Amino acid sequence: MMKLLDISKKYGEITHKYPFEPYKVSDNFRGKPAYIFDLCIGCAACGIACPSNAITVQFNDDKSKLVWEFDCGRCIFCGRCDEVCPTGAIKLSEEFELAVKFDKSALIQRGELDTQYCTTCNKPFSAKRLVKYSFECLSKANVSEKRLEEAKNYLCMCPTCKKTATVATFTSGKEMVIE
Amino acid sequence: MKTYEIPNEIELANTLEQKLELLKQIGRSFSVFRIDCGSCNGCEIEIFAAITPLWDPERFGFKLVANPRHADILLCTGPVTRQMYYPLLRAYEATPDPKIVVALGACGVTGGIFYDAYSVLSGIDKIIPVDAYIPGCPPHPASIIYGLTTALGVLEQKLQKVSFEEEGDLPPLVEDSVLGNTLFERDLLVQAKRLMSYVFGRKLFDKYIKALVQSGNTKDPKATKVSITEAIQTEEDPRYAECMGILHNEIYTQYVLCEEEDKIDLHRVIWGAK
Repeated sequence: MMKLLDISKKYGEITHKYPFEPYKVSDNFRGKPAYIFDLCIGCAACGIACPSNAITVQFNDDKSKLVWEFDCGRCIFCGRCDEVCPTGAIKLSEEFELAVKFDKSALIQRGELDTQYCTTCNKPFSAKRLVKYSFECLSKANVSEKRLEEAKNYLCMCPTCKKTATVATFTSGKEMVIE
Repeated sequence: MKTYEIPNEIELANTLEQKLELLKQIGRSFSVFRIDCGSCNGCEIEIFAAITPLWDPERFGFKLVANPRHADILLCTGPVTRQMYYPLLRAYEATPDPKIVVALGACGVTGGIFYDAYSVLSGIDKIIPVDAYIPGCPPHPASIIYGLTTALGVLEQKLQKVSFEEEGDLPPLVEDSVLGNTLFERDLLVQAKRLMSYVFGRKLFDKYIKALVQSGNTKDPKATKVSITEAIQTEEDPRYAECMGILHNEIYTQYVLCEEEDKIDLHRVIWGAK
C-alpha cells in the first residue's frame, strides 16, 4: 500500500484541470471552421469540396440572395473548405467547445450575399462579390485595357448568354481581342 | 418521417422541471450508459480516452455503467442504423425516468457524413428527444467533458446561431505581385501546396515570399539566390528549407531569366559526415 502511494507521488498529478482552467489544444488541431463573412465571395468552392455537405450554397426562395450555410453538427473537420477557399474566408480555428443544449439550430452559421443578375436575360447566376473579385484578379494580371473592357461585359453574363454572345461575335466578323 | 411515438407516460415523466429536479437530487453522481448505434468506433475511443485519469470525469461524478436500468444519462453515438433502431428504443425505455439523452459525434447529431445513406435514420433526434448535442468527428475528450458538464448546467453554452445578412464593403483581396505578374504567385502557391499540403504550404509560401522581398531586387537572380540561400540556412525545419529551394528552382526560374548557376544546389546535406 505504501509502495503504491510512493509510485503515485513519483508521477504526480497528470489530470487536466480542464473545465476550471482553459485547455490549450495541440498545434494544428482541427477545430470549428471559423467563417469571416467580409471575405466571403460566394464562389461555392467550399460547398463543392465539403464531403458531408455541411456547407451548402444556394439561392433563397425569391433568388434575391445567395445563402451560404454551415451546419457544425454535420461537419467532420476534414479542412477541405480551408484548402479550397481562394480568399481565406473559412479557416479551421482551435475552438473545441461546441456542445449545445436542446436547440440544434445554434450550430448553424449563415451568410447572405447579394445576387448578380445577368445583364442580357436578367437571370440570377452568381454573387456580386464573385464578379467583383474576378475583375480585380484580371486587372492585376497584366492584360490590356481593351481586353479588360471586354472581360467586364462577359463577367456580368450568365453562362448561357456568354456562350451566345461569344458565338455572335465570332460569326459577325468583328475583330476579337486575342492575346 | 416520424418513426417512433413516445409513450405517454414516458413523455409525462420527462418534462424539463422533472429533469432539473433529478439533477438537484442526484447531486454529484451521474451514471452514464453508452449506446453505439452504428458508429465507426471513433467516438467510443474518445469516450474511453475521456474517462482515463488524464481527464478524470469522476471529478464531476460521471461513471459509465453497463446497464441502462442503472443509468441517468444515455450517451448515444452513431447515425442509427436499421439494425440498431430497436436496441436503441429498448435502452431508452429501460432507462428510469427522467432520463437525459446526449447525442455524441457528427453522426449522432445530424447523421454526419452518412446523413443520406440508405440504411441509416441520420441522427438520434429523429427518433428520441435529445437534450444535448456534442458535435465533432470524433469529439476531443475536452469537448466531451465540456458537453456533459454543459448538459448538467455546470458550464454555459458558448455557441449561438450566427447569421450575416447585410453585405459590407469587400476589402481588396488581390495583392500586388512581387514580380509584377500575378501568375507567379498563383503557380508558387499551387506548387507550395502540392509539396507540403494546404496548411504548411501556405506557411511555406509566406516564408518564400518574405525571403524574396528581403533580397531588395526581386528580378535579379543573383540577389534572390543569396537571399533564399540565407533563408534556407537559417530555417530550423529541414522540410521548409528543402521545399524553398525546390520552389526557387522550379517556379522562380520560369518567370525570371536565369542561368544554370543561379539555381540553388539542394544537395547540401551530406549524410554521415560531420
